[in-house]
Amino acid sequence: MTLPTQLEAQVENFITRLKRRQVIGSYEVAKETAVILRQAVSMSKWRDADALIDIIRDLGGRLASAQPKELAVGNIVRRVLKIIREVVRGELDDMMDNDDYDDDNDSNTYSEDESSPPPSKNLSTTSSQIGSISERPQLTVESSMFRLLADVSPATPDDSSDTPEKKSYNLKPIIIQEINEEIIADLETVYKGIADQAVDYIHANEVIMTIGKSRTVEEFLIRAAQKRKFQVIVAETAPTYQGHDMAKALSNAGIDTTVIVDSAIFAAMPRVNKVVVGAHAVLANGGLVAVTGSQLLAAAAKHHATPVLVCTALYKLSPVFAYDAETFNITVAPNSILDFQQGSLIDKVSVANPYYDYVAPELVSLFVHNLGSAPPTYVYRLINDNYDPEDTSL
Amino acid sequence: MDPTANKSSPLLVPGAVAAQKQAASAPMSSSYENQWLAPEEKQRGTSPAGSRGSSDTKQSKASSEAGSPQIAQQNQNQNQQHQQQQQQPPRKSQKDMTKAERRALQEQQRLAKQGRVAAGLPKSAKKAAEMEPTNKKAQQPQQQLEKQTQQSTADDKQKKKARAPKTDQNEVPWLMHLDSPKKPETSSNKDLHPAVLALGLYFSEHKIVGSNARCVAMLETFSKVIEDHRPPADATFARNIQKHLDPHIAYLLGTRPMSLSMRECIRWLKKEISDIVEEDPPLSDDEARSRLIEAIEHFIRERITMADQLIVQNGLQKIQEGEVILTYGKSSVVESLLLETKRKGIDFKVIIVDSRPLLEGKHLLRRLAAAGVDCSYYLLSSVYVALRSVTKVIMGAHALLNNGAVYSRVGTAMVAMAARDKQIPVMICCETYKFVNRTQVDSLVLNEIGNPDELVDTKPVYNSCHQTHPTPTESALSSWREQPNLRLLNLLYDVTPSKYITLVVTEVGLIPCTSAPVIWREYK
Repeated sequence: MTLPTQLEAQVENFITRLKRRQVIGSYEVAKETAVILRQAVSMSKWRDADALIDIIRDLGGRLASAQPKELAVGNIVRRVLKIIREVVRGELDDMMDNDDYDDDNDSNTYSEDESSPPPSKNLSTTSSQIGSISERPQLTVESSMFRLLADVSPATPDDSSDTPEKKSYNLKPIIIQEINEEIIADLETVYKGIADQAVDYIHANEVIMTIGKSRTVEEFLIRAAQKRKFQVIVAETAPTYQGHDMAKALSNAGIDTTVIVDSAIFAAMPRVNKVVVGAHAVLANGGLVAVTGSQLLAAAAKHHATPVLVCTALYKLSPVFAYDAETFNITVAPNSILDFQQGSLIDKVSVANPYYDYVAPELVSLFVHNLGSAPPTYVYRLINDNYDPEDTSL
Repeated sequence: MDPTANKSSPLLVPGAVAAQKQAASAPMSSSYENQWLAPEEKQRGTSPAGSRGSSDTKQSKASSEAGSPQIAQQNQNQNQQHQQQQQQPPRKSQKDMTKAERRALQEQQRLAKQGRVAAGLPKSAKKAAEMEPTNKKAQQPQQQLEKQTQQSTADDKQKKKARAPKTDQNEVPWLMHLDSPKKPETSSNKDLHPAVLALGLYFSEHKIVGSNARCVAMLETFSKVIEDHRPPADATFARNIQKHLDPHIAYLLGTRPMSLSMRECIRWLKKEISDIVEEDPPLSDDEARSRLIEAIEHFIRERITMADQLIVQNGLQKIQEGEVILTYGKSSVVESLLLETKRKGIDFKVIIVDSRPLLEGKHLLRRLAAAGVDCSYYLLSSVYVALRSVTKVIMGAHALLNNGAVYSRVGTAMVAMAARDKQIPVMICCETYKFVNRTQVDSLVLNEIGNPDELVDTKPVYNSCHQTHPTPTESALSSWREQPNLRLLNLLYDVTPSKYITLVVTEVGLIPCTSAPVIWREYK
């Protein structure tokens, strides 16, 4: 399917920037991807939901392959696909009067696409309660059971042939509205949702250790500091020295901060009460892809029986597995480790500068995300709620 | 001794140069031989006076290899002068002083000036001297010498108070029992041997690092002090030498807290001295002196140099063909072991893991690459990536504690923990003189805090397109002292629990680390 030229130009621009890694941070990437997909839904020509799904899948595949290690792209694409399918199913059930299934299902799925905007707004403002998740699973448990018992696509055979045109006419505004609300608006409130839970996890006079620079963790700690008094130790994260920026931001916000070198993490760990880190992506088994050094930090915390909290937003959740530690790693220029001025040494020595680390799910105690919190063993449920299984490979 | 050695070649291995010089004494160049105190043959009175121009060699590291013969000459000159002016050190003209002495004098004058300013006196020394009688009367109405020393300590106190706000702000609350690093104070120590003053400066500026290097340097310096010491008329050499050495030891402690191994050496030295004192019939001064110097030489040779060779022999048993060995930081013993393995023709690879801020692994990397070893280089944060293909981890130690824990460069514990998690054996190479009779259960009870500004010293990185940092030219914390609520902590050591360590290689054999107290008892 060819896209309209204006959209194509946008897409090409985005792909180029992704390839050159000029889009910085998974938040920005997710936002831009969502905007582009929304444009695709509104600007491209499609007659029925299947065609739209194909268009989005195609486009999504192109975007994801531009930067395969940037998992946020794929996550947003999968989310959009799920929204489309949900809307389609909602409309479908709308159409179906003489259904075999309970009115329960009917009313539930009916209420799903109408009432889902308000609950999502409510959910982002409540503080951490596991219960806040349960509202959504209830609805989607129904839908997955629905899926088990029924054959969703193509539309149920009882459908009349004229409904496709009627549907495509109706679906577009609904889909766009859903994308706006569920994805783009959600992204705006991600940091708030996580920071709101901060006070529940930090007690007075704690010592918290963190690594790297994560906007999520920064807002989490700054919000907690408004109500509690605690200290933070930041590991400096050589060779990018992100820890220095983090320390500056935290100390500017009035938090008592100490900067240590990465090698002192084990030495200082007996003093630490909690470890809070951010993640680049969360994988389907509960493992993390995080900045290099996080694995060391998490392992040291495990050895000292210190809990590890990971602050991530749900859009970083990815339904893929890492079969070894290298799957989602990128190596960047090694000259920050051994710079070119070392001259002849460079030829004789092999140097690697991996940018990410893989942290096993056994080392993580809790994920704190914008809709509540979850232990690593619960991550697969979150993935089921947010994505469809047929989208796992784009 | 020509200064035409390649000053610009980064691969010129200092150890190789030193090895050529002392080919007779040590067949293997150990990397703890530092170029600052190159062991000179004890020739005296033969050095020409024309070596003043070598004063700038101490500054540039690159030319230090060429400078070492000149420093040797300088040391000899120092000794000469000190010999001549033993009991009364008059003010020498600046031309006659060596660089260290000029430095010391400058330091002294600067501190005195600060003291004057802090005390509210006019800055120039002349005017202050006019006002001095009033100050003296106010403070201590006693002898001239005592007044001067007390005045300088009062100045020091005032200076410390003026400096206190900054250092206090940087003190980490749970490390307040440790001293923060301070510059050596040479003003109140005019009667110390200049070699010790110089050594203190070297230590505080990290020109001599590494436990073996520091121990050897310290023992050789003390040997010089003993050599030059002439006891006062009313005491014998043997009884007086201990008292004479104490202020030197205190001064060194003030510059950089002594490593655990250095403390053991000093304990041994004091025991030797007391043994000599107890000798019956009492030895003459010269005999006592030569006995002591010989004992020191013997110690260095047996328990450091020969011990290293034995450790290498023992460790070679554990390295086979095709091994991939990971090491951390720069340990002189591990370096010797790896070089010897290469010499034996065993095919192996080395992965060097390094960490900021000292980045000592780079020096090891240079030496190994120069010897043709197949090396890789990683930073500590990516050690898990590095550990993927590793078969053994070999590291050095600073000291071995009584409970089997290893007190070593900060970061060793992390490497050992990571290796243990992957079931990779961890070997520690340690001489028996480093076994100490103390125990630590965590790394914070006894440690050393380094200069916090080293953390901020991040070299500009010539990255083309880094993901989050386009081109950081300097750290975000370059003005960290003005930043409120911010502290920088530069820990230098840590304690690796014994459960992460598989084996300790010593000159007496391969032992499990929990047998440390047994060895200590045998060899103390």
